[in-house]
Amino acid sequence: MTLPWPPEFISANLSEASLLGHAMIAGAVGLIVIGLYAMVVERNLARIILGLALIGSGVNLFLVAVGYRADAAAPILAGSMAPTAMVDPLPQALVLTSIVIDVGVLALALALAIRVHEAFGTLDTREVQRLIAKAAAENDRGSPPHRPDQHVSPSVARKEREKRADIPRLEELM
Amino acid sequence: MARSSELLVLPIALPIAAAFLMPVVANVQASLARWLGIAVVVAALGVAAMLAVDIAQSGPLVAALGGFAPPLGITLYADGISITLLIALLAGGLLFWAASPGDNVRSHVLMVLLMGAGSGLALSGDLFNLFVFYEITAVASYGLVAGRGSGAEAGAALRYLIVGTLGSSLALLGIALVYASTGTLNLADIARLAPERLAGVTGMAAFLLLVLGFGVKAELTPVNTWVPEVYATASARVASLLAGIVSKLAIVIVMRIVVLAFPGEQARELLLVLGIAGVVAGEFAALGSATLIQALSYSSVSQLGLVAIAFAISGTAGVAAGLALALHHALVKPAFFMLAANWRGPIDGLAGAAKATPVAAAVFVFLALSIVGVPPLPGFWAKYLLVTAALAKASPLVLLAIAVVLAAVVVEAAYMFRIAVALYGQPAPERSGPAILRGDLARATLLAAGLAVVTLTAPAVLDAIHRMAAVASDRDAYIAHVLPERGARAALSVSVGVDQRTERSIP
Amino acid sequence: MSLLDILFLGALAVALAMALLGGTRPAGVIATLSYAALLAVLALMEPLLAQSNAAIASSVKFQIIGEEIGWSMNGLGWFFALITVAAALFASWFSSGQWGAVQYDMRRQHVLLAVNVFAMLVLLSSQDLLGLFIGWELVSWASFAMMTQRGGAAARAAYRYILYALAGAMAVLAAIVIIRAHAASFNFADARMAVAALPSATKWTVVALLTAGFGVKMGLLPFHLWQAPAYSETPGASSAFLNAISARMGLYALIVTLLQVIGTDVLTNLSVQFIWLDARDIIMWLAAVTMVVATFIALMQTDARLLLTWHGIGQGGYMLLGVLIASPLGTAGGLMHVMNYGIYQAALILSVASVMHRTGTSDLDRLGGLITRMPLSYVTMLMGIIGLAGLPPMNGFVSKWMIYKSLLEGREPLLLALAFVTTLGTILSVYKLIHNIFLGQLRQEHWEIREAPLSMTVPMLLLGAICFVTGAMPGLTLQLVDRAQAAIGVPLLAHHLGGVTLATGSLNMLWVVGTMLAMMGMGAVIFYLLGGRHRAVHQYDNYAGGHFLSADLRYHFSHEFYPGLARVIGPWYRGWIVRAEASLIRLSDIIGHAWRGSFDAGITPLYVMAALVAGLLWVRSAGGLP
Repeated sequence: MTLPWPPEFISANLSEASLLGHAMIAGAVGLIVIGLYAMVVERNLARIILGLALIGSGVNLFLVAVGYRADAAAPILAGSMAPTAMVDPLPQALVLTSIVIDVGVLALALALAIRVHEAFGTLDTREVQRLIAKAAAENDRGSPPHRPDQHVSPSVARKEREKRADIPRLEELM
Repeated sequence: MARSSELLVLPIALPIAAAFLMPVVANVQASLARWLGIAVVVAALGVAAMLAVDIAQSGPLVAALGGFAPPLGITLYADGISITLLIALLAGGLLFWAASPGDNVRSHVLMVLLMGAGSGLALSGDLFNLFVFYEITAVASYGLVAGRGSGAEAGAALRYLIVGTLGSSLALLGIALVYASTGTLNLADIARLAPERLAGVTGMAAFLLLVLGFGVKAELTPVNTWVPEVYATASARVASLLAGIVSKLAIVIVMRIVVLAFPGEQARELLLVLGIAGVVAGEFAALGSATLIQALSYSSVSQLGLVAIAFAISGTAGVAAGLALALHHALVKPAFFMLAANWRGPIDGLAGAAKATPVAAAVFVFLALSIVGVPPLPGFWAKYLLVTAALAKASPLVLLAIAVVLAAVVVEAAYMFRIAVALYGQPAPERSGPAILRGDLARATLLAAGLAVVTLTAPAVLDAIHRMAAVASDRDAYIAHVLPERGARAALSVSVGVDQRTERSIP
Repeated sequence: MSLLDILFLGALAVALAMALLGGTRPAGVIATLSYAALLAVLALMEPLLAQSNAAIASSVKFQIIGEEIGWSMNGLGWFFALITVAAALFASWFSSGQWGAVQYDMRRQHVLLAVNVFAMLVLLSSQDLLGLFIGWELVSWASFAMMTQRGGAAARAAYRYILYALAGAMAVLAAIVIIRAHAASFNFADARMAVAALPSATKWTVVALLTAGFGVKMGLLPFHLWQAPAYSETPGASSAFLNAISARMGLYALIVTLLQVIGTDVLTNLSVQFIWLDARDIIMWLAAVTMVVATFIALMQTDARLLLTWHGIGQGGYMLLGVLIASPLGTAGGLMHVMNYGIYQAALILSVASVMHRTGTSDLDRLGGLITRMPLSYVTMLMGIIGLAGLPPMNGFVSKWMIYKSLLEGREPLLLALAFVTTLGTILSVYKLIHNIFLGQLRQEHWEIREAPLSMTVPMLLLGAICFVTGAMPGLTLQLVDRAQAAIGVPLLAHHLGGVTLATGSLNMLWVVGTMLAMMGMGAVIFYLLGGRHRAVHQYDNYAGGHFLSADLRYHFSHEFYPGLARVIGPWYRGWIVRAEASLIRLSDIIGHAWRGSFDAGITPLYVMAALVAGLLWVRSAGGLP
């Protein structure tokens, strides 16, 4: 099997093989792979979220690379001058949108992580899964469909946390 | 008659604008914000009804936002399927308004946001635009799952968010690949260029990424792992909306992508494999599940697997079968969840439920019969369409799919009727059967009545579905509707030499 | 509005009436009269069917996804419908008095019976494959509802049934969709043309799917496990109905599909290399094996209801054998056996139900000596078991004789041998049945037992009497069978009131019965002329080895009834099908558990990674480089 590099669409579109173009693609793929690897091997939700952020950055870099053309000007029309070659502006617009979305989603993710940590005192995803299942089972025992809030007071949470000292705390990670 | 294209933007714009207004209004009067949200969704539903009439009379509607003609600007496209889903979404939203009056205004905002973004998913004709609406829908649903923020809810929402965001990133990567290959994001334009630009390895890689990405909400294997946990934790109304309607919006997007951008056999095979895997995984997991909600969650996975199998079959027949299955599931599953919200706990503990609320048990049996596919209920016709459509394309993989679909019926009956038998069982002496909230029962009964009406009007409904599917499965017609001046060129297929990208970036 | 419309409306009206009035006292009488009215409608249809051999169409039809579905009843459906409605009539009659009054859920039973009758009439009036499938599913679910009504063990048995039935239905659906893909419509005639043109592998698939699918309902091996428990756990009157006719719906569907749609010529042309068997032979062997196995399982039962229902499965094999021989004699025998079996099986189940009504048990180890307490039930059972064993002068003899004869003429000596072995097993087991219930020592706790009331004994005895009359005058039944045979397109069998006239040996039951009665009369005359001394002794006046046997001493031999036989054939009862079923259930449990474990959001990234790697490799290898 021949190495699929450089990707066919890149080689077709780059007027001459540019180091920057290759570097961007390689960087994007690298970020995505590292992020995915982190998500696969990590059990701590905070680290998984970081993996997610890496993947997001990789995808964004990839988008920029898609629009990149070697030795082309920035896509700004000044006066009546018509440039000969310009970088594709559309992916850059997309990347902007995508970054904004990423920021929002990651902020929400971290907010939820803090809430989970408050409630369960752990960020271990398997532990969280077990506790969610336990909470669901407890709900099932009580019949009312609108379940009571299962908020645990911070002091209780801290005690719980101290019991599981081996799991890194959120503050240590961020 | 003048077409109502300019109205297309309203079901998206109205709720999203309202979502931004509501926190402000809530400062004046909390209940006012809630009523504003509901009123806006009702208004959007009214607009959708007008659009539906127009589309039924004179075919699909296209709107170019901001006056940029396609493929430059963002287009909105509505045919029978999108408008049906739109109406289902808005009506479902009203029926399962997931925030109670006492709740914080935030949950009302999330509901309205879900409606607006979901409308966008149904109507958008632009790939990146779809991605944006997909993300907004996703964020709104994470928020709704997190509900009042108990630990379990936040945990489930977070784990769901991680899967969802991973999926979105993959989808975006796929979109980038599509853009790299075609130089456009407009679905019609992509469709025009697809046969030559997306048929290769890059195109297929893009398809894989797009399916995995949009598959998260469409509950496709292997990215449906969040399903049981989220449905068991979130409130029944949120679960109803996600399983019943949002998943259909996502799977219909997958269908559009397959029909428009990847008409080759390879993409269909991939979707078929995912569908088969979903049916097998869902049905076996549901067999022997401990609680009713769990069984229903897994059943939802397998039902969407069926839809994926149907959409993987080329031609009108496949789309019609998938649409029938999807709409049937959208009607049935929310009703199930309404009942399940009251019948929690181990299945054996449900004994006596039929005695406590005979109507609820009867509704359950009726729904179960339909979802299993007993003639002459609608579920049977949907599965029948699927099997006949599949048999017309007899390849080994399709034959395997048929065998799986038929075997799945038996497994489905096995767990559905295990539950039904439990409902009609004798309760333990000192206990009575579980009670049921009146509102939930009313909703479930309403949906079951809807199902009964569909049973009686099945020929007409199936005809309508077939007509919608004929429009949706016609790639050339889509191109011609959105790009009228290029429609002729599509038939000739563009010569390889034209660089789409330059043409596009320098108008 | 045709007669068929009236029939449908009538059946629906009964269901509605029972839903409203089912709980009241005269409900049973109303139901009985309604079924009698339906029988009258069926009787009115007979001349129309006889005149033109055309089907009577219903005016209800609808069009859906390009298919037109309508209903019409031909002679075959009419013949089965007759048995269905008659069975419902006797079941309602039986429950119209005391038996119904002590049931806590009589209204539900009435409604479900009427719903079942309606569903069966719909099935029996199907004129195309889609209608057949819809009717089939209706019947399956209606009988599920009937079986499950009692909850507990009944619900478990019914649950097992519906899974088997649904698996069968899906096989059928696959088959009819395959046929439809090659045919112009679902119509039987179009389907027949399409099947004839199919490649032989597809033909095999279709035949296998249809036989397995419809065979499930008949309890054809290896799909026989569900039937006995499901039918037995149903309350008495409904159980009689189910036993008499429900399983025969499978036979009806098999006749329609194998004989009418596929055709015996196609079946015999589908041959297996090297073993000199064709598709028809294989199905006939299945039927024969079912017959033997089910009968010998029945022999080992210790519950009267289970014993009878296992026989039902075995008797189904006879019918299928006869029908598949496809000679005029064979089909007539098979179809006649459907009716004969329905009559004597209903009589037997009702007689067991009345014993249960009085004693509260049908356990063969806990009964005995009831002949003095329940003589009418005893007479009914006696007539029934003679029919079941296929001995003259009862009707079962005639149909079995015709089947034997057709097997002989069809050159199937091995199948004939199996049929004889089955009959031997039947005779042994029905003796066990009547001995353990009615003969021998009366148990002390049954001392006070009285005969069942007239509302129960009259329909029972009537069924027994029909059993005898149609045995002595089989021409009555053969006349009805003619309609069915004409509809299948098999040449009619020459018959007269007493039996059939054949070149190779005729049967005249009037002579046979007459001779039997004359001999018995002569025996009686001789006995009394010789001054036959007899003295009635008390039932408890028993001695053994010169010792008086007191009533509390159990000497009634009922448990392990045929020890010698059991030693010989016992090792054959391996229960491997039972174990296969259990393993299947356990396997799916294990798979289900594994799948549930796999639904974990935390593992998703791994899945995605795997999917990406596998997907990209696949894309590369399958797509190739452009």
